[in-house]
Amino acid sequence: MSTDTTTQTPPPRPDVPVSPPPRTGNPWMPTPHGVSLMMRIELRRRRPSAKGYVFYGILFAIVIAICIAAAVFAPPELSSVNFEIVLIMVLGVGMLIAPSLSATSINGDSGEGVLAPLQMSHLTAGDIAVGKLLASWVVSVVALVALSPFLIYTFLNSGWRWNEALLTVGAILLVVLTFTAVGLAWSSIAARAVASVALAHLTTGFFLIGTLIVFGVASILVTEESASRDRYIDWSTLDQEASAALDEAYMTGDYSQLDPDDYTCIESDWPMTITHTDRIAWILLLNPAVMITESAPVVDPVTWEEDGRAAPGMFAMIHSLISDARLGPDEEVSDFQAYDECAELQGMIDGTVPTYDEDMTQEEIDAFFAADEAEQNERQQRLANLTPAPWIGLGVQLTLLIGSMWIVIRRLRVPYKKLRTGTRVA
Amino acid sequence: MTITEDAPPITEAIAAQGVARSFGDVRAVEDATLSVRKGEVTALIGPNGCGKTTLMLMLAGLLRPHAGQIRVAGADPRTDAAAVRAAIGWMPDQLGSWDNLTCLQTLTLMGEAYRIPKGTARERGMALLERVHLGEFAHRPARVLSRGQKQRLSLARALVHDPQVLLLDEPANGLDPRSRVELRILVRQFAAEGRAVLVSSHVLAELDEMVDEAVFMSKGRTLGEQAAAMVADARLKYRIDAIQPAALHAALTAGGVDFEPTPTGAVTRIADEPNAAQALAWLIRQGIEVHRFGPVGSALEQTYMAMNEERR
Repeated sequence: MSTDTTTQTPPPRPDVPVSPPPRTGNPWMPTPHGVSLMMRIELRRRRPSAKGYVFYGILFAIVIAICIAAAVFAPPELSSVNFEIVLIMVLGVGMLIAPSLSATSINGDSGEGVLAPLQMSHLTAGDIAVGKLLASWVVSVVALVALSPFLIYTFLNSGWRWNEALLTVGAILLVVLTFTAVGLAWSSIAARAVASVALAHLTTGFFLIGTLIVFGVASILVTEESASRDRYIDWSTLDQEASAALDEAYMTGDYSQLDPDDYTCIESDWPMTITHTDRIAWILLLNPAVMITESAPVVDPVTWEEDGRAAPGMFAMIHSLISDARLGPDEEVSDFQAYDECAELQGMIDGTVPTYDEDMTQEEIDAFFAADEAEQNERQQRLANLTPAPWIGLGVQLTLLIGSMWIVIRRLRVPYKKLRTGTRVA
Repeated sequence: MTITEDAPPITEAIAAQGVARSFGDVRAVEDATLSVRKGEVTALIGPNGCGKTTLMLMLAGLLRPHAGQIRVAGADPRTDAAAVRAAIGWMPDQLGSWDNLTCLQTLTLMGEAYRIPKGTARERGMALLERVHLGEFAHRPARVLSRGQKQRLSLARALVHDPQVLLLDEPANGLDPRSRVELRILVRQFAAEGRAVLVSSHVLAELDEMVDEAVFMSKGRTLGEQAAAMVADARLKYRIDAIQPAALHAALTAGGVDFEPTPTGAVTRIADEPNAAQALAWLIRQGIEVHRFGPVGSALEQTYMAMNEERR
């Protein structure tokens, strides 16, 4: 253990003195400096390679082709459908790319051995977590910016107002941010990148499609089979005289000659199903896509032209479907009254129930159908104008976002209490 | 950083007492006790899987020990982990680099992560790259570096914040002979600058040349007194080879010297260098034709082999 080697060493080179600030405790809160530095590191590191640019180029070519096609085949009048398609593209691209990036961010770095040196530095767990989240999310913002010419072009023809468009775009970016955070959380939990990417997309799939399936299954549970009981006159037990008298009365509308005691009643049960979707509509409202469409403007199916809007598009249609589920079965159906022939007959004999007039005029028939149609339209208008309910979805998004980041920060804090199984620290 | 005359009396930069840590039912470190003084290089030696890296992670404030006390630069990682991490320059055993970034960008960003202003961080990064002989790679992406070059970049990265304590985990891995010599020189310089250096390595001959103290580890335990005694003893051993071994043996026996005969001569214990000079002169006067006379070799290697512990 001689130290003679030091005698032949050149004197140490002039050092650049540095004085990093002292640290105490074990802070974890994100800081503006730390977050922006972490974002810079991530964005520089993940600058796509030549192959990456080709991939993104192809992806954008496809997206742009769809947008152009939508624009070309667009009818000249106002139409919100094209704008909605571009919005869905932004959502789709964001949901595919950003969570994929974030889902490999932590376990990938840990495997490459570049995470621990950052944890050793003055960057806090919050800095690393939020920096990584925003760096992945920014990619989908770039996608939005890249699509902005189409977004603006289709917007101008959509009948939406500026603030409404901004609100919905904001909702889309929030959903992308949330699922980027979910991907990051999975990457802090799972040891392997393959697992965390799969889990991230499964989570997204659960909220986008799974909620619809759960709604479908749950609707069986809220379907009531109320046995409806009708009462009829038992024709088979009538003697000939009574039967003829009744026929006669139905023909003439004169019931005064009948004796109620001649007619025995029978009861007949038949099942009537009512699905109380109003009880499970909240499952649909958990869906992030529903949250986005619920943030879109309300389009009245009757007065849209006077309102300066385009005809109800996809988002408005989805809103109506959701509203239908929220309102549940039509009140008339639930207030269904059993048919009671005997009581009616009794009423007509007593004269308390008006007898039918055989001869309905054409006007009366028309009026009857018009009333029916008006009733239908009224329901449609009511559904379309029902106050949007994005709040449950927003709550889900914020809970997922905050919960995911909480998990990520906890798992990034050193000293580690325990490690992901099958991993090393460095 | 240089040691000044009025350096603080506390010279222990790292003090660990009875540290233990297990992963599930694997007890990686069972009982580790060591201290590393400022201005000294301490080696951490042990077979693969004996818990060296785990111990270093705990000292670095990355892993929480299940038992025991640790103080690094006067701070306790349990309550003041950030202060511990800030005091430490850690060179991990796993090579990790940001492949898309240049060496200088890597060091600059790392410096900024320590809240050093960008300009200063860049300047220091350049100086450090020069110091580890990577100056010409400053503007090349890290992916073009060879394994040994990445190792040196990793060493430079550990120094960006001018730490008082250096933890070097297998720094000599993958280095060519010249780089090893340079590493040895660098490590001695770090100690001369007043830093405490804890270095683990398998290349025991390398460590022999650069360390002041050695801590042996086996099966998760540090071997304190016993190993230190073995190292001290191994350092005393001199090998004497003579043309006629029998004559040498006879002379040594006649002189009442304890020795272990070898086919070519003998191994004996000599306290220090003046004594060795006297002994050699005495042998020559006895008419023994000595053709080789010197320390047996790596004291650490002898101790390591003598520990005779099973590899995991």
